[in-house]
Amino acid sequence: MLTYVVRRVLTTIPIFFAALFLVHVGVSSTTDPLANSRLCLPRCQAGYDMLVEKYELDKSIWQRPFTWFGHAVRGDFGFSEVLGAPVSKVLLERGGNTAILAVPAFLLSALLAVLLSVYSARKQYSRGDYVLTGFSFLGLAMPTFFFGLFLQVFFGVWFQHWTGLKPFYTSLKRDDSWLHLLQSATLPILTLTIVSVAADSRFGRASMLEVVNSDYIRTARAKGLSERTVIWKHALRNALIPLVTLWALGFAALLGGSVITETVFSWPGLGPAFIAALSKPDLDLVMGISIFAATVAIVFNLVADILYGVLDPRIRLD
Amino acid sequence: MTELIEPVSGHGESRSFARLALARFTSHRLALLGAAGLILMVLAFFTGPALSSHDFDAVDIVNRLAGPSLSHPFGTDEIGRDLFVRTMLGGQYSIRVAVLVAFLATALGTVLGALAGFFGRATDVVVSQLINVLLIVPSFIVLAVFANRYGASPTGIAVVLATLLWTRIARIVRGVVMQYKEQEFVLAARAVGARPARIVARHILPNVLGSVLVEVTLLLGTAIVLESTLSFLGLGVRPPIPTLGNLIQQSKGAIDDAPLRVLLPGFFVVFFVLCVNFLGDGLRDALDPKSRRA
Repeated sequence: MLTYVVRRVLTTIPIFFAALFLVHVGVSSTTDPLANSRLCLPRCQAGYDMLVEKYELDKSIWQRPFTWFGHAVRGDFGFSEVLGAPVSKVLLERGGNTAILAVPAFLLSALLAVLLSVYSARKQYSRGDYVLTGFSFLGLAMPTFFFGLFLQVFFGVWFQHWTGLKPFYTSLKRDDSWLHLLQSATLPILTLTIVSVAADSRFGRASMLEVVNSDYIRTARAKGLSERTVIWKHALRNALIPLVTLWALGFAALLGGSVITETVFSWPGLGPAFIAALSKPDLDLVMGISIFAATVAIVFNLVADILYGVLDPRIRLD
Repeated sequence: MTELIEPVSGHGESRSFARLALARFTSHRLALLGAAGLILMVLAFFTGPALSSHDFDAVDIVNRLAGPSLSHPFGTDEIGRDLFVRTMLGGQYSIRVAVLVAFLATALGTVLGALAGFFGRATDVVVSQLINVLLIVPSFIVLAVFANRYGASPTGIAVVLATLLWTRIARIVRGVVMQYKEQEFVLAARAVGARPARIVARHILPNVLGSVLVEVTLLLGTAIVLESTLSFLGLGVRPPIPTLGNLIQQSKGAIDDAPLRVLLPGFFVVFFVLCVNFLGDGLRDALDPKSRRA
């Protein structure tokens, strides 16, 4: 097990650096920090030289990432020009905000996905199953930003118009009140939850159906176990295995900052910071967020594979 | 392992796989619905602009922000351009982007997947690691970096999306090629002197046709959603060319007063993806080689 983890980590490192390298080269190739100063040459030669020095523009584009790597391994992730703060501070602060949405959304969607797939599989082809399948198709077809916009208009404008109440805010209210935080976070959490439940429950239903119709479940029923034990202990455990990977990757994506949902609801998380950094472009911040998102993705991939082994003793990791 | 011999279904007549598949497809009601919806939509998008007397970029300040009327079925935008024509044309561009993405991603994925699966060793390592890198880099970086630079035109966006979306098909093709390349019929073809390209194209790839076809339909949906999402973030196809995505983007500020202007193009995106997913579901059932159900 330990050797497996160590080997996995070691094999991931080159890919990790290759990915970061490409991000650095890609972002710097699309930008020209000198665009403005070039116009006023030779008057502002000093400023021009300073920028060349700062962004190492005299070096080849393929060499520039290494300087950044050199600082990064020593724990210096640079300074974000866009947000006017050190990248490590931005990551902590924004990452915290993102987690406020990501953690509840993940827990809620995992719980809902399990409940819905158990229901759909036990009552296959019932009216409820058809309704749920219909909704998950709709959820899959709906672009996230469109759903977010819809929720915003529905709760922000129409609902208030009809009832005079405004239960949820459509963007973050900055104060210390927990109630306000809850009111602000509900709609983005709802958006994230619905979108992932739609995908997970389709998958979970198929997986649960396959298990419920298998021989060992028939055996479990035949020997007189209660339906509750059969479904929740015997069937669910196997049906969850394929879902675990989906969850791990989904949670990693959520933690990395849901660019769209956070942008729609103007949530000060990693997503909007990332977009701001890309459009500026603020190379240090882009790299900082990339390194964070990539690490989270790798770690959760590994967690998924380890959980596989725990849930299914037939799978051996070595 | 012993093979179970399945009795031939029906009344002694055996039917070809293609006919079975067709029979299964036509009995899949949702898939037919999806196909019909898609055909209707394509017809509407491609004939719609010709049916209206308005031009997609004709400005009519007097009639700006008009609600739906006979002359302007979807109303007009803030400088009085007819939204019906713009939405239809936008749909046209969005579908073109999606089809191009599906084509490019399938071609790239099939070629790279087949190379990796057939030659194994170094080729496989390179392709697999390339896929891994694409999985690690947040897709938004790839999209944003390249969309910033090449994405202003529909073709540019399609190329950018295809460079991101080929990995699933590559993995499917790679798996199937690896699975089949040691089987007797492939060894037989090799024994009579067929070249690798011929073996892959004629003997192995027909086996992935089904699963790739399903993936292609799903790709069409993904491409349309991503196109509109990129537009929403301001990274998509730039005006004056309308797409469903940038139509939503342009009117989202006015969503409180004129929700219809946002909801209509959004509805077409959702409807398109729904149809494509239904179609994909039907194809998956119909092309399942293990199924003998008619």
